[in-house]
Amino acid sequence: MNSTHIIGVFDSKNDLLAGIEGSKNNKFTIDEIYTPYPVMEAIDALGRKSNFTKAAFIYGLSAVIGVLSFLYYTSVIDWPINYGGKPTNTFPSFIIITLVLTILTVTILSLFTFSIRARIYPGKKYFLPDERTTDDKFVILFNKQTAGAGFEAISAALKASGASEVYEKEL
Amino acid sequence: MYKAEVRGPLILGNKDYRQITSDIIAPIDNKTPGWWKGAMAVSVLLASFGIFSLYWTVRYGLGTWAVNNSVAWGWEIINFVWWIGIGHAGTAFSIFLLILRQKWRTSINRAAEAMTVFAVGCAAIFPAIHMGRVWLAFYIFPYPNTRGPLWVNFNSPLFWDFIAISAYLLISASFWYFGMVPDFASIRDRAKTKLKKAVYGFLAFGWTGSTKEWLRYEGLSYVLGGIAAVLVVSVHSIVSTDFASSVIPGWHTTLFPPYFVVGAIFSGFAMVMTLMIVIRKYYHLEDYVTDSHLNAIAKILVFISLIMGTAYTTEVFMAWYSGNPYEMFTFFHNRLTGDYSFMFWAMVVCNAVIPQVMWSKKVRSNITALFIISLIINLGMWYERFNIVVTSLSKDYLPSSWTTYSPTWVEVGIYIGTIGIFTIGVLFFFRFVPMIAISEVKSVLKPTEISEKH
Repeated sequence: MNSTHIIGVFDSKNDLLAGIEGSKNNKFTIDEIYTPYPVMEAIDALGRKSNFTKAAFIYGLSAVIGVLSFLYYTSVIDWPINYGGKPTNTFPSFIIITLVLTILTVTILSLFTFSIRARIYPGKKYFLPDERTTDDKFVILFNKQTAGAGFEAISAALKASGASEVYEKEL
Repeated sequence: MYKAEVRGPLILGNKDYRQITSDIIAPIDNKTPGWWKGAMAVSVLLASFGIFSLYWTVRYGLGTWAVNNSVAWGWEIINFVWWIGIGHAGTAFSIFLLILRQKWRTSINRAAEAMTVFAVGCAAIFPAIHMGRVWLAFYIFPYPNTRGPLWVNFNSPLFWDFIAISAYLLISASFWYFGMVPDFASIRDRAKTKLKKAVYGFLAFGWTGSTKEWLRYEGLSYVLGGIAAVLVVSVHSIVSTDFASSVIPGWHTTLFPPYFVVGAIFSGFAMVMTLMIVIRKYYHLEDYVTDSHLNAIAKILVFISLIMGTAYTTEVFMAWYSGNPYEMFTFFHNRLTGDYSFMFWAMVVCNAVIPQVMWSKKVRSNITALFIISLIINLGMWYERFNIVVTSLSKDYLPSSWTTYSPTWVEVGIYIGTIGIFTIGVLFFFRFVPMIAISEVKSVLKPTEISEKH
């Protein structure tokens, strides 16, 4: 369902950060921030946190256990081969292949996690308030219904912080 | 006495964000230049010869190659290792410099990663075709099958190699591609034609640049970067164990894994230098790929060259010091002297001697000299692989098995073909993909501005 959004456009990262600070001081609720490159302060300002590294660790741990179990199954249980009486469970020689298969597994699962969590996939219908954000502008987006103030108040505060333009748009 | 120079600005010419996007997208928006068409025609010709040679191999079998019972590995393994080595630097470049937070990487990493993907793709052709019956290559996949319930040999470095290279290809390609997603969105949002908007819109995967996306994007970069750093070291270590775990004189040495990894990074960095000089020259991106960037690569190369020289000396020293007559013979009578001594000395001169001229600042700031040296290093690294593979195999323990090896036109054709395939890939990259990571360059613009003011 479409709703009206207030869009504050900034020319530089410093102006954007001032705009975020100003919005916070005035207790406006920011809906989203769009930037041409990653701005950590903006991510922090929205309180966004990612568990990506923890997920990757869990993938890695599961892969290590999975691969070692698989190697044990193939070389000890399913098809043990007698190489001149050597033990079939040759753990040290499993280490390298375990490392490499773990990396392969973590890569594949991390890519899927990224695609699902960031909702980035082929053919996605995207929602971009101002096309200039992928070029040279920084945008703070407010949903008019949940922003906590009207257009005039937000516009005045953002312009005071250095916004180059503020406008309303139905999105 | 010790005067530390502050690194110059990373991007020259007082650019703003919009200018950066325009400059980097310009080769995609502009008409295809004449030199590009010429280079593409030559590359297609080379690739066609390669494809014909591959067809010849499949049609008539491995008998069309000059490999024999003694020299069972010839140009194919040499070229495989050579390409994998070149492919190494891209990810090494991106990842080690990402982890070390080296901001100067931003202008170069995209091209380095592209090079990796194409080079690893070329490398993969060789082991596949070397199997003989290439249509049965899928036998190497570990799955329960109907040919008797046998598993592949999980303890074999050759199988490790297969998995490591598959993982390396996947991780390099995804690192490269996801790095490009924000830039594809930039092209999409500036596109003037519907077709361009649709194509780059599809490639951009719906990217908008919201904090939610950037947060995960950074997370993915660091996770892939962290694990790929391990992979970069392990891939070429594993390639080296293909050799080192055998009992062939000249191969059976613990020096091999670090020797191979460093050598791979050496040849890859040289190829990065070659490509960056071409990009700079033909696309006028001197403001992004500055003299300071090339200077930094040259310093890395001269340092690695010293390591290579040390490795060559160590090998020869150990052959003498071990007292092993077979090692002595291989190094002193079949490398330093003998049938293939040219290859040995060419390797030493190209990799350990000539790069030393880059100690001079004058040479490091002479683009033509750097370009020539980068090509010499790649040639030298090819000689190194020839030296390792052929000399050891041609004369091992049994004099009755001694033989010499020189390739047939089919083997040469496959190699030339991969050069064509590589350059086709690189030319497509030049034409249709932003050659420099736009969003990353924008993120380093601010410190550059500050350093300019001081």
